Amino acid sequence: MQITQIMQMTKSAKIGLLFALLAFTFLPVLAGGQWIKIFISTGCFILAASGVAFMYARLGMVSLGQVALMGIGGWVMLRMNHAFDLPFEINLAVAGAVTLVFGWLLAMPALKMRGLYLALITLMAAGGLEVIFSTYRFPNGGEGFWGVMPSVAAPFRRPLVATDDADYLRYIIFAIVVGFLIIELHMRAAPGRAWAMIRRSEAAAYASGVNVVYYKAWAFGLAGFLAGTSGGLLAGGLGLLDPATFRASESIMLFALMVVGGSRGWLGVVIAGVLYRVVPALFNDWTIDADIALVIFGAALLHAIITAPNGLSGQLIDLFGKVGKRT
Amino acid sequence: MAQRTLTLFIVTALMLGTCTYLAWGKPSSVVGLFVVSGLAVGSLYSLGGIGLVVLFRATGVLNLSNGAIGALGVMLAWQLQQWNFPQIATWVIGIATTTLLALVYGRLIAPGLAWRDPVVKAVATLGFALIVLGITAFAWEDDVRKFALPSDKISYTLLGLRITLTRLIVILAAIAIVIAVWLYLSKTRTGLNMRALADNRDISALIGIPIVKTETIAWGISGLIAGFTGLMFGDLVRLEPFVITFMVIPAISAAICGQLRNLGVVLIAGLCIGVIESMLTLHPVLKSVRPMAPFVIAIIVLMWVQRGRTNYFAGN
Amino acid sequence: MKKTTLVGLIALGSLSMIGTASANDAVCGLNNGQAASGEPIKVGAIYGNAAPGDFSAATDAANAYFKCVNENGGIHGRPIQYLVENDQWNPELAAQAAAKLVKDEAVVAMVGNSSFVEMSVNAPMYAENGIMAMASGCAVSECFESSNIVSTNQGPLASSVGAAMYAVEELGATNISCIGMAIPSVGNWSCGAVQSYMESKGLNASYVLLNPAAPDVNSALLEAIASGADSILVNLPAGLAIAFLSVAEEQDLGDAYSWTSSTPLYDASVPKTLGEYWSGKMFVSAELTTIDGAGADNQNWLRVMDAYADPADPRDTFAQAGYLSARYFVKTMNEMNPVNVDNRALVTAAIQAIKGYDSDLMCGPYYVGRADRHMPNHAGIIVEVRDEAFHVVRDCFEYEGPYFEPILDAEKTLGLR
Repeated sequence: MQITQIMQMTKSAKIGLLFALLAFTFLPVLAGGQWIKIFISTGCFILAASGVAFMYARLGMVSLGQVALMGIGGWVMLRMNHAFDLPFEINLAVAGAVTLVFGWLLAMPALKMRGLYLALITLMAAGGLEVIFSTYRFPNGGEGFWGVMPSVAAPFRRPLVATDDADYLRYIIFAIVVGFLIIELHMRAAPGRAWAMIRRSEAAAYASGVNVVYYKAWAFGLAGFLAGTSGGLLAGGLGLLDPATFRASESIMLFALMVVGGSRGWLGVVIAGVLYRVVPALFNDWTIDADIALVIFGAALLHAIITAPNGLSGQLIDLFGKVGKRT
Repeated sequence: MAQRTLTLFIVTALMLGTCTYLAWGKPSSVVGLFVVSGLAVGSLYSLGGIGLVVLFRATGVLNLSNGAIGALGVMLAWQLQQWNFPQIATWVIGIATTTLLALVYGRLIAPGLAWRDPVVKAVATLGFALIVLGITAFAWEDDVRKFALPSDKISYTLLGLRITLTRLIVILAAIAIVIAVWLYLSKTRTGLNMRALADNRDISALIGIPIVKTETIAWGISGLIAGFTGLMFGDLVRLEPFVITFMVIPAISAAICGQLRNLGVVLIAGLCIGVIESMLTLHPVLKSVRPMAPFVIAIIVLMWVQRGRTNYFAGN
Repeated sequence: MKKTTLVGLIALGSLSMIGTASANDAVCGLNNGQAASGEPIKVGAIYGNAAPGDFSAATDAANAYFKCVNENGGIHGRPIQYLVENDQWNPELAAQAAAKLVKDEAVVAMVGNSSFVEMSVNAPMYAENGIMAMASGCAVSECFESSNIVSTNQGPLASSVGAAMYAVEELGATNISCIGMAIPSVGNWSCGAVQSYMESKGLNASYVLLNPAAPDVNSALLEAIASGADSILVNLPAGLAIAFLSVAEEQDLGDAYSWTSSTPLYDASVPKTLGEYWSGKMFVSAELTTIDGAGADNQNWLRVMDAYADPADPRDTFAQAGYLSARYFVKTMNEMNPVNVDNRALVTAAIQAIKGYDSDLMCGPYYVGRADRHMPNHAGIIVEVRDEAFHVVRDCFEYEGPYFEPILDAEKTLGLR
């Protein structure tokens, strides 16, 4: 394939990049301290959701363990931060790499399973990690391997270019764009073609010379890398992490919202992130009772899953398509 | 058959081996206590797992809202107890409510998702779980509560540990449900329909199996089991809607061990998980991560079951 | 078993009777009966309310007190605007709430905070922004071991040590098994302090940690039995504690051990929930005076609640703690120069200068001081669960043990001892 073909921009990609550019420029300026924090979390989960989305859309594989993998990335990030005096980016790379290895571990059962069984095995992994996180907590500058001390967390070093919240939000938006581009590059190169064949039939893929094991593991590794990076970025948002963020039920929730948003394309993933973090924050800001918010959220989730098989992004795109034709 | 016997033998040996390792060097009276205690907890996993599998076999839906509706049922029963309703009325109304809720989902919502991916079906029930949980938590603000049954007052001593009648009821009920469901599926017309539906939905529809009726019955049965399970969890675990709702996740592990199909295996797996989890208390390091036992065991079992498959032809 | 004093009878069911005093008697702030006017002074608070727990009692009570203050001269005549946020036990929401209050709304101080997560997340942020949090519901070590948070409640450590002291001195315990939550900054921290207290007395202690997610509390009970203890100290949130005591009842261990508990079990619904079995067997360490305490300040608290709080708002220890934080804050602000009350740095300095405030709600004096840890409340009372009610069996006593030594030294430097 020609380089020009790989670099060709689709309409969706152009709109996406424009959207990212607008967000990069204006979001940190227009939002107040509270909303910048909300968008930082949202951004981290958008990046994590992109990993789940491409696995689901391109390979038909379901991961109900993405948020738990984020926890691993976050743990490594905090561990690195408190143990060594390395720059943020190196810590982030280590967090991504370690989580990538955990993604591979999850790929081992996935080589033999798909569908519900695979989903459940990832959920079981998430359940196990939940117990580990809640027992050992996240490093906060203490001694020893687990690095936990019973007092206020030691300082966290953010990237040199983004020490305050507004710049950190820009940093995250940049990271999301890079993450999406990495996925897109994969889609357009050999792995993308292999994944497409695997999705249709593993036997056919094997017959036509695709190394199924290799490319499946690659996909899990990539999803793990995205989860790890986003977990590391989330750790940077607060300077510490709490096990409650990474419960197994949260992993199911992120997948559910990704289905609601739509798994194909960047818009669905952005919608998923917004539903996951912005909507609850809005409910809280409007002082809607947390229990009632849960009811509204559950009802909306159910409604969207039933009425929008291609996700809300699919509906939005259809809507714009119709409007476009009419005018 | 020989293959299955071998598997069963290996599993039993592994289980005994693990327990012996954990119990090594401890006085047998202490070990006995932990085994019995583990069986008591394990029966709760079994019951939760059985509730999931019964519905899954008939409808292909892994119902994550089982815990939430069970929690609503037991909270309601507790409330009626506070209002001095007769004991039996509180249980009946509690279980009737959960059955109704399961039927509402089964009749009104599940058909809209009938042709979707099984994972999406499962995830949709999470939406329902959140609705039910939100309503329950809103109706019963956080407070200290305790749900008691008359059977709590009667107890027997087994290997030095006192076991209340309630705990025995859980184990016996789990066994009874397994037998009853087996009889129902193999001896009745509806049961046959359910098995057909579980095997292939499209063909079942083509040959004129009344899908709606059959599925409605399955949802009703699963609601009944969820209601009973909720009452037992409320009594034996904690009367907190959140805790009962998310008990469904470890219960899934027992269901996985039975490959979402075999109720007998779910029962035994639940008990084994309980015993190993309890015995882990004897290990100096692993005791702090005891609740991982269900998940680790489920993963090991699933990998073991799938070991025969070649890598390239993965299936469901 | 010996009961030293029987100070009061707490009939929690008859709270309505206690509150019959006229609402107009409530004493707040300057107490001049004049409504405050002018530009409001912004004060913030973060509490946690979502399943599985509701910690809003403290901010409800603080809000009632501030309303009363606003009708009674405010702060130098200016009203308090009390901005309250819910963290829903979610660390990200906690950070967002703090950003909103401290950065966007520019509050001068935080008063009445009560949460499990808020303090550990926001403590560095409070320090960085030079704002003091006069909390009322601290539950984790980070809350007590940070420079810019000071709480009116005791938290699990102090209250567990109090329970252990009672077990040793009155119930004859020589070997305590402390049942805590498997969270380093809660269970290990507080049960660890019980252990070091016992060791300092030449006695034994061990601890059993319970994972809050686990359905099985039986094994923890068996582990406690296996430790060879003769006394069991339940140091768990109320729901988990009830579950633990249920299995102990199942095994009929009520008389085989002496039983004590930290404060979470001091809750109006507990005696009835525990039932007849535990009557006369369970001793609970309470952090503040009893709900119906006869002291003038406690009675004033009840009057403020009746006049200014929602009838459904709880009247419990957290509400007392919230009232106390709010009252001390207003007192401090009214003692400041009126031109400085909008200046966060000076408000912080004034709060840090608090020394020796007294109330019959708290056994010891309240102070803040500049330190990297704050625990002014480390003396308490013990109540017994009997006949579906709580009864005081030991009045105010100081907690002992290695953990409190640096705190006592700091108090000496401040001239409080």
